[in-house]
Amino acid sequence: MAEKKSLGKEFSKGILAENPVLRLVLGTCPTLATSTSVQSALGMGLAASIVLVCSNIAISALRKIIPEKVRIPAYIVIIASFVTIVQMLVKAFAPELDEQLGVYLPLIVVNCIILGRAEAFASKNPVLASAVDGLGMGVGFTTALFLMSSVREILGAGSFLGMSIPFLSQNPVLIFILPPGGFFVFGILMAVVNRFAEKKGKPRAELRGCEACPMAQTCKLNSCEKTEEKAEVSA
Amino acid sequence: MKKKMNPKDILVPAVMLLIICLVTTVLLALTNSVTKTKIAQNAADKETSSRAEVLPEATQFSEVKIDEATGVTYCEGKNASGESVGYVFTSSAKGYGGDVTVMTGVGSDGKITGVTILSHGETPGLGANSTKPEFRNRFIGKSGELVVNKTSNDGQNVQAITAATITSKAVVAAVNDALSVFSEVSGGAENG
Amino acid sequence: MEMTKGLLSILLTAILTQNFVLSKFLGICPFLGVSKKLNTAAGMSAAVIFVMALATAVTYPINTLLVKFDLEYLQTIVFILVIAALVQLVEIILKKYIPSLYQALGIYLPLITTNCAVLGVVILNIDNGYGFAQSMFNSVGAGLGFMLAMVMFAGVRERLESCDIPKFLKGLPITLVAASLVSVSFLGFTGIVENIFG
Repeated sequence: MAEKKSLGKEFSKGILAENPVLRLVLGTCPTLATSTSVQSALGMGLAASIVLVCSNIAISALRKIIPEKVRIPAYIVIIASFVTIVQMLVKAFAPELDEQLGVYLPLIVVNCIILGRAEAFASKNPVLASAVDGLGMGVGFTTALFLMSSVREILGAGSFLGMSIPFLSQNPVLIFILPPGGFFVFGILMAVVNRFAEKKGKPRAELRGCEACPMAQTCKLNSCEKTEEKAEVSA
Repeated sequence: MKKKMNPKDILVPAVMLLIICLVTTVLLALTNSVTKTKIAQNAADKETSSRAEVLPEATQFSEVKIDEATGVTYCEGKNASGESVGYVFTSSAKGYGGDVTVMTGVGSDGKITGVTILSHGETPGLGANSTKPEFRNRFIGKSGELVVNKTSNDGQNVQAITAATITSKAVVAAVNDALSVFSEVSGGAENG
Repeated sequence: MEMTKGLLSILLTAILTQNFVLSKFLGICPFLGVSKKLNTAAGMSAAVIFVMALATAVTYPINTLLVKFDLEYLQTIVFILVIAALVQLVEIILKKYIPSLYQALGIYLPLITTNCAVLGVVILNIDNGYGFAQSMFNSVGAGLGFMLAMVMFAGVRERLESCDIPKFLKGLPITLVAASLVSVSFLGFTGIVENIFG
């Protein structure tokens, strides 16, 4: 019973408290790039979620075998192979989605969310919990993409999932589906989420960790510690 | 910082990494063998349906040839009784977001029977509107050298898409390439 | 002549109209993360240009090999490993032989492995069917475009620091809105390349 409850928690944290896009500010590139239409956003969310769940399961299952020293390259290989498998399946069975996502489909490899979860969760937790964690994060990612793309498609193209909306479709505010609109909607969405978080007494979302990349956990091990180490050595 | 390394400390991780790479490669090769034919089939299907769309009279197509000078590829379309009804050309021109690849159908009389956009990187909502029939149908029935015009669609003019003149120019340039190759090929065929 | 024109138009397109950060949304993480100060922004971009050019030069022959042996499906996995290894290698070499350059770029290098702009440019070169020279120009252009966006945005952000902003917009939200405005300014380049090279 206790186990079940904690699994539920693992799942739901990815959607609200630790939403990868809106709270942890990970995976910003695909969020901005594929949210021009609800359809491509959902496609991206689904593809990334599949990769996330599979890689979390594989990495968790192999966590005791993968040597500490080469774990990052090992994770990258595992993630890249799942991405390629998903890419081939999409090309074969959903060629339209492949056209919409274009280069962003193979770029799931460098989606910080996936490597981040591998390092922060799957490498330390059992298979089932990792799978649930991956699923929760995937759903959270997809939800954020869905929100972004709904706003952008409704205002920018006057349609929703390709169905045109009367009045709006005659007067679309094009800027919303152009690149600036992506930044703008994301900024406003972050502000709204921050406002809710503040009401609940939670900290606001910020880019954190080592100065550059928000992929705090992974990159810390990779570079920041090294950087700090170097700084110490030279000092 | 670094202590002397035990050979085992280097070997074990390296071997593990190698094993992981091998296993994933095998997995990928398997998926590839399953999906390869399907992917090729998808591409072929798309090609066939686009051809049928731009040259509706044709029921069969000859082998694809390439015009060396312009890089335009083309094939001849024939009706059920084997008579030539025109040509289908694939040409591309530079648009706002990279190459716009256009397939143009030209009837035996030299008039355009249909235009379709095979691939493009144009802005959604602006240049991407070139894939809509409203724009593509503006080409039908035209022949000779076409020019982009902002307001009119008469004669040699092709009315541009609102706020997407560059894309419109690219499509027209690609169609003009197709038409010029047509005059060579069809002329050559008559002489021969 | 025609050739140089084509290459220059690829370069300019990559810098201005198809700016990697502001219109393709690649490399957003460092764009938002490292753009607080002008000198770090410039250092990071220099490292990105360097790695992009190098990665393209290395992956181009590798891709020809993959195509030759019908192994195109290994592209993603091979490229990301090559980039990761390359970054490590560059770090070691610079440290040993050109310490001055290492001091300038070194700390940014490890962050670049997971920068999607590098993998992105390599994959886009292949998707577009570019030859070697075209690929190199596109990569350098993409890197220069990244630098232009970073440096411009660093300037904007330094001014933002001293602005009076509504509380809930402070921090990341206003940064994104500012990025949106910078991106609008890049829309102004629409058609410029086509008009220059007609």
